[in-house]
Amino acid sequence: MTIVVARGSNTPRKGYYMYWKRPMAAVSVLALTALAACGGGDNDGETSTGDPSDSATSFIEGGGAGQNQDAEAPVPVAEIEGAVAGGDIDVLSISGLTTMHPSEAYYVNTASILSNLVVRSLTQYIYDAESKQMVLVPDLATDLGTPNDDFTEWTFTLRDGIKYEDGSPVTPEDVGFGILASFDRDTFPDGAAYSNDYFLNGDKYKGPYSDPQGDCDCVTVSGNDITIKMAGPFPDMPYWGAFPAISPIPEAKAKDPNAYARHPLATGPYKFGDYKPGDTLELVRNDQWDQATDAARHAYPDSYNMDFNTPSATIDQTILADQGDAQTTMTYDNVLAPDLAKAKQSGNLVTGGQPCTAFWYPDSRKPEWKDINVRKALGYAYSYADAWLAGGEIVGVTRIPGTTIQPPGIPSRPEEYDVLGNGGERSDTEQAKQLLTDADALGTEVKFLYVTSDPLSVDAKNANVKTLTEAGFEPKPVAVADSTAAAEMRADPNAPLNLRSGGWCSDWPSGASWMPPLFGPTGGANYAYFDEKAVNTQIKEIQASPIDEQADLWAALDEEIMTKYYPVVNTGYYGVAALHGSAIQGFLNDDVFGMPTWKDIHVQE
Amino acid sequence: MALTPLEAVRSDSTPLASPDAPAAKKIAGRSPSRIAFDRLRADKVAVGCTAIVLFFILVGIFAPLICKIFGVELRETPGAEALNIFTGYALIGPPEHSFTWEAPLGLQPGTGNDLLAEWVYGARTSLEVATIATVTTTIVGVVVGLIAGFARGWLDRIISFILDLFLSFPFLLGALTLAPIIVNRYATDEGKLDRAQFFSLIFVLTFFGWMGLARLVRGEVLSLREREFVQAARIIGVPTRSILFRELLPNLVAPIVVSISLGLPAFVTAEAGLAYLGIGLTSRPSWGQTISRAIPYFQDYWLYLWAPVLGVMLLVLALNLLGDSVRDAFDPKTRR
Repeated sequence: MTIVVARGSNTPRKGYYMYWKRPMAAVSVLALTALAACGGGDNDGETSTGDPSDSATSFIEGGGAGQNQDAEAPVPVAEIEGAVAGGDIDVLSISGLTTMHPSEAYYVNTASILSNLVVRSLTQYIYDAESKQMVLVPDLATDLGTPNDDFTEWTFTLRDGIKYEDGSPVTPEDVGFGILASFDRDTFPDGAAYSNDYFLNGDKYKGPYSDPQGDCDCVTVSGNDITIKMAGPFPDMPYWGAFPAISPIPEAKAKDPNAYARHPLATGPYKFGDYKPGDTLELVRNDQWDQATDAARHAYPDSYNMDFNTPSATIDQTILADQGDAQTTMTYDNVLAPDLAKAKQSGNLVTGGQPCTAFWYPDSRKPEWKDINVRKALGYAYSYADAWLAGGEIVGVTRIPGTTIQPPGIPSRPEEYDVLGNGGERSDTEQAKQLLTDADALGTEVKFLYVTSDPLSVDAKNANVKTLTEAGFEPKPVAVADSTAAAEMRADPNAPLNLRSGGWCSDWPSGASWMPPLFGPTGGANYAYFDEKAVNTQIKEIQASPIDEQADLWAALDEEIMTKYYPVVNTGYYGVAALHGSAIQGFLNDDVFGMPTWKDIHVQE
Repeated sequence: MALTPLEAVRSDSTPLASPDAPAAKKIAGRSPSRIAFDRLRADKVAVGCTAIVLFFILVGIFAPLICKIFGVELRETPGAEALNIFTGYALIGPPEHSFTWEAPLGLQPGTGNDLLAEWVYGARTSLEVATIATVTTTIVGVVVGLIAGFARGWLDRIISFILDLFLSFPFLLGALTLAPIIVNRYATDEGKLDRAQFFSLIFVLTFFGWMGLARLVRGEVLSLREREFVQAARIIGVPTRSILFRELLPNLVAPIVVSISLGLPAFVTAEAGLAYLGIGLTSRPSWGQTISRAIPYFQDYWLYLWAPVLGVMLLVLALNLLGDSVRDAFDPKTRR
């Protein structure tokens, strides 16, 4: 899933743009021990003064991203020790929710809120305190699905006794309709397209709203069993089954998708109360939800009141003040850099990884980038830490240097390799100049976007212009007035740019959710317009190879692409640094989304 | 002046009592301007404010020299090497270290740009914009007002209608609309974009700023044109242009000077306000931009925020008080 990070906040928009620079010594990968809430860990009682030993290593790398599965998870889930029901939680964020229709919710905030609190899917994630990672467990299905031998057919069995918020029972046919709705790209253009990519007739069937007469002939229901036929092998189906898009939708009550998006029928512990799209959302208890059927959700608080129009500085100040209602207030936005020291002292800062990587994508269609050495020079000329700091990122916390395509936590991530030998964090303009001189490419124009109305974007642009100029490039930054225009222009293949910046987050922990979208011919995030026959064939071969070999093959491809082609510059992995009030417990980092572990949150007595 | 949305501090209250200079009992012919000037000189507030305004003007003019004296450079962008990589604050100066002459106002967190240079050049931008905008609004306002007042009949009605029409345009909306258009048009050339933003800012300020003066001048002309010296000039066949600029204009000096002195501070605030919103100047230093960047730091690094805020406040206050004094000096009716 693509996300937008604007400033210090996780503004989850499709496509994002950002800049960064070089951080401290690379923290060791998978230092997941530090991922939990730093419960009062850094009480050094003063603002940190640049001592590199100061908690640098207490910050994370990446996340486990939920590669573990447990089909036998106990139902209902065990209570959390000391947690009691009750309390109202306020949630603040700077960015409004886009659509909340289960079939279309594909931003980290909408998908996370829906699937953790409101809508139940076939499978779900649970936070495992021991490994400090997310684990895939069954939700509406009784297990994680049964595939046939070659993973071209999956069968899920629906639990008994599931009801919608209005008391009507959830039928397997409703799940079937939900699956059909997930095909409908015309009605839900922003939704995830995995049904179209992997399910039988996904390329032909238009979905129930666009083509009421049609059918994909891929879903069959018998008794409580739902069988889905695939177009090819799809071993990752249980992960796709955790998306809100694969949830039951009652056909009769969802005739109007727009109305349904304003109030999706809840199957989870909370239902929509008052909802002003883009502004506020109130979640209240759904008394039709039965904890006895749920393998992961606790639902301790009585309600959530979410406000999506709060400036980042206000969020930080409110929660840090920790007075009155602020004690039960939380955010999933990243803390602003100037507030980090105080946030750490408060002991209420949650840091962790997010399975996302930011890239600079030189447009491979342009002749100036044909030479790999020019692309490498670009990697040396990126101003890493300068750009990160100027862009308001917290180096080592919200942005972590990296050299591999896949971030930590993805099982198919290769051993550390470093094509440029700069640790993903050091600009080397002399080396870049040497490469450019040898390639006879001094004065190569670099045309990239920045937003004039955002001072942080302007500052980050200036940082990169400086190093690019030093390296012998000729930076030609392209101005746009606001970030919406930037997102549009970046998505336009014919925009007057030859360098795009953006990030990619995995939808589930597998190379299959990295290499094809980033470097495949039809990749949704292939902003480099990278198209190599050899790589395309390899992607196809890996997708067709045995499941247990795939992770190693993706890892090898990761390294091969960067070593042989260097099509993108890794501009760092994402991290999370979110604040909550002192009375909120159970707020940890869900490293599948880089969002809170909603299911475990409770209010201290 | 139709600038109200951004006119933050606009003190119309009368300044401290300024004792009227007891004029020497010598009998001498003195022009109204001369009398006003003498009154001003005797007004302590006016003198003090003039000194402050002069200070800012000198800062603006000699910005490069001041930077050189302090050994700082504008937008050097040293980046991470000058910063504490964990907090983004500078390795010298506030807020993490004590005061240093290397960077008297500190360095900008995140980029390491020198804030004194930013402030000094911000003053220059502020005064440049305000001065040019004042000159253009005054010229447009006076010319239109003169013509409207003197024309009678249909021309006067048309001009008056246009005046009302312009007064009904929302200024902020105009600026908001124009900003993305300019950015789009000059997206690929930073130098051109900077100039285009500068001139479009002047244009917006002028476009929405000339009506007040035009109305004022029109009103004055309406009463002046019936006076004997104007009638006489017309009878002996003086061309209209000469009547307007030779006979009428000199009698309008007082309201024009007052309008200028009150317009300057309004433009200073408007410039800062638009830059703060990101729709004014974005590539050259501006106090509004610095304020917008500094807001998240207000607790830990107050100097970052207060330097430009004090700059705007002091300059606007001084210009306003000076404007009031000028008005009092030129207007015999506001004796105190």
